[in-house]
Amino acid sequence: MGDTTDIHKGAIIRHNNDLYVVTFAQFVNPGKGSAFVKTKLKSISSAKGTEITYKSGETVDVVRVDYVTMQYLYKNANNYSFMNQESFETIDVSADLLGDDVKYLKEGLEVMMATHEGMVVAMQLPKKIKYTVKDAPPAVRGDSASGNVTKEAIMDNGLSVAVPIFIKEGEDLLVNTETGEYGGRVTE
Amino acid sequence: MDQLAHLLNNKKNLELKFAILKLMREWFWTQGFTEIESPTIVELPGQEPYLSPMGVKIHNEEGEEFFGYLHTSPEYTMKKMLAAGFDKIFYLGKCFRDYESFGGTHNPEFTMCEWYRTQVDYFKIMEDTESLINYILDKLKNNFQFPISNFQSNPNDKIIKFNKITMKDLWKKYVSVDLDEYLTKGKMFELCKNFDYDPGESEEYEDLFYRIFLNEIEPKLIKPTIVYNYPAQMAALSKLAKADPRYAERFEIYINGLELANAFSELTDSGEQLKRLQEEKTLKEKLGKDVYDVDLEFIEALKNMPESAGIALGVDRLVMLFGGLQNIDNVITLPMSKLFN
Repeated sequence: MGDTTDIHKGAIIRHNNDLYVVTFAQFVNPGKGSAFVKTKLKSISSAKGTEITYKSGETVDVVRVDYVTMQYLYKNANNYSFMNQESFETIDVSADLLGDDVKYLKEGLEVMMATHEGMVVAMQLPKKIKYTVKDAPPAVRGDSASGNVTKEAIMDNGLSVAVPIFIKEGEDLLVNTETGEYGGRVTE
Repeated sequence: MDQLAHLLNNKKNLELKFAILKLMREWFWTQGFTEIESPTIVELPGQEPYLSPMGVKIHNEEGEEFFGYLHTSPEYTMKKMLAAGFDKIFYLGKCFRDYESFGGTHNPEFTMCEWYRTQVDYFKIMEDTESLINYILDKLKNNFQFPISNFQSNPNDKIIKFNKITMKDLWKKYVSVDLDEYLTKGKMFELCKNFDYDPGESEEYEDLFYRIFLNEIEPKLIKPTIVYNYPAQMAALSKLAKADPRYAERFEIYINGLELANAFSELTDSGEQLKRLQEEKTLKEKLGKDVYDVDLEFIEALKNMPESAGIALGVDRLVMLFGGLQNIDNVITLPMSKLFN
């Protein structure tokens, strides 16, 4: 058991006898009554989505999960293979469960896997991931004059990110996995 | 280097915001409004039980300490000014609310536009809001590319059209309930149970109301909608509706499921206002919130305040709509999430 302060993206909630992973959580304060937390949930068994708005402070059946560090290996048909860094076992996680976050995966990346009763229920990415820019069109004259301050660049894993125009091919940079935004150059 | 990356990522969005701020001022000036200043530090902020003002300590040159709060809205100041004879005034500046999320649809420091007119009721303020938003749209379209569909209007529309509906009709339409029957805490509690919610016994009317409203109704308010006439107990600073005093002359604007503005025909009965604010203070105490006295200068001002109506509009949220953006952080120069990371 927990309350609404335990709700965050990646948390696991028991609702109507099914386990759900929180895919989106947003605080709302209408100002005229208590605050609320709006959530989008995905059923772990059926991958079906649902939306629930909780009153702030309300009891929520948050399921305790264990976190295990796993290293991403490769894509394997409709699954993604990871190595458990404690047991060195290889496990396959379905694309359905990982959702949109698979775009951030790259070989060798360490992630935290939330497990419940031995089963992987959610993946938690590092807040920022370092990539090398594989492809970035050079800035074109007039770009800044026309108000273009960013351009699309392709990272070494194929991820496309809007980056400042001064970013060049071969540079290392950080990408914020919560927003998908450019998160700064890597400063050594 | 989070702050620098944020500024680079959001330069276009910030340029859009600054253009909108300029156009807002332009619209007010062409309509004959005066921009006013309000202190942001006050001794006695609003009594809204569900808002948390931020406390500040101030010291004079002798080191004497004073305790104040950052305002959650310039409302009291502006009404004191109306009582002193100011008319058609607007404030475009910062407001502060503690215990709100860093990002999403809130930032504890945010930009508010508040304006008041005397000798009018809330219908005039509805007209103002439609006119202001369409003025911005019209002037922006030459320099910024954004689809009118961000406002969920038909792409062929030339202007943003607002659907006006009373709260009572809204409940009838979306949850098939006659709101007249659910104006007490007991009845609303039962209704929540019928909708399969599990409210606590101690929940206030507003909490119960919003359980249903936020889950069943608000997500459906996608097209620009003006919702008016709120249950009287949900509008501490507004006048009761002439036709049906169980409701108050308050309206809110929703676009794309997001609350954009809140407006009233202002309550001018100082005795009634004092009573309502004292009740709110008691509720604040019960909720374990910071408690401070009712601002008696504000109550005194109401004795001289003419009939008026006013509105508070969330400017950051308006910019989000124009920019088609989901997170308020994208329209704030340096949001809390980047300042305190």
